[in-house]
Amino acid sequence: MHNNPILRISTKILFAPIILFGLYVQFHGDFGPGGGFQAGVIVASAFILYSLVFGIEAGKKLFPSNVNLILLAFGGILYGGVGIVSMILGDEFLAYNILGSSPQSGQHTGILLVEFGVGLTVSNVMIALFNAFSSYDKIKEK
Amino acid sequence: MISELLINAFLVTIMLSIAIALIKTRTVIFTVILTSAYSLVAALMFITLDAVDVAFTEASVGAGISTILFLAAMAYLPKKEEESISSEFIPALSCIILGGILIWCSFDLPEIGQLTAPIHQHIAPEYIKGSKENIGIPNIVTSVLASYRGYDTFGETIVVFTAGVAVLALLEKKNPAKKNKSQPKRKIRKNA
Repeated sequence: MHNNPILRISTKILFAPIILFGLYVQFHGDFGPGGGFQAGVIVASAFILYSLVFGIEAGKKLFPSNVNLILLAFGGILYGGVGIVSMILGDEFLAYNILGSSPQSGQHTGILLVEFGVGLTVSNVMIALFNAFSSYDKIKEK
Repeated sequence: MISELLINAFLVTIMLSIAIALIKTRTVIFTVILTSAYSLVAALMFITLDAVDVAFTEASVGAGISTILFLAAMAYLPKKEEESISSEFIPALSCIILGGILIWCSFDLPEIGQLTAPIHQHIAPEYIKGSKENIGIPNIVTSVLASYRGYDTFGETIVVFTAGVAVLALLEKKNPAKKNKSQPKRKIRKNA
């Protein structure tokens, strides 16, 4: 889309660090500020930056729409699934104590999985929204 | 103490000037950019209140991604906002009255950080103690968000999911029917 070399090269340089920072925020949320919502938005912003600079088609080639939609639903399923698993194991819905060998490790596992579900849903909803807005424009132009 | 006051006064001044600029501007792109700047200053404000997680969310969601989504949605809007308000007197009066009531009520609020305030007495001590003993996570915000208030966060995730699916259902028509053409447009205008 853009032929400006500064934009293209800085996007290529920034893309991986943004995702790395998103993963850091995602999995370090237990110890520092952060969590699923923020990490999801940060990861989504990397893909949106790519789509803005290289065009929506290149963005869809990098991250296909059907994978996007599947992951969008999978985040919510993962969150609910943790609750169902804790119910099957004999505790209440979303009670994580039973998930590990000790209550504390169970809580750690549960919170990690649940935050990952939040991050998946948020990042994929943001990417899907951006794609929907941009593609709608193209349909109208035709 | 005095330095905190100075920082707060500085941030409030910036927020006020952004708000006044927001009222004055009639160009849509400036409105979006000023809203983003307002969110960024609000994030700094949250940092001075020691709410780092909220500040992080405000900076990434309020100042970051919502600006991009507004810009993407803006492509369907006219470039300039129409001057539609016939009389500015009644809106101004209602704003002043509401602001006055809120300021008057704020005199009754307990001081920030006061331990005897009701909000620090109710369930917070249990969370602060339990987060260390029962959950073993240093960040209390995460343990409240994901464990103590896991149902609420589940609801939030489903709300985000539903909002995304709703927008996809509205916009992702491969061939929008001609009579329905104005419907998605109206929705976008409401969002922006």
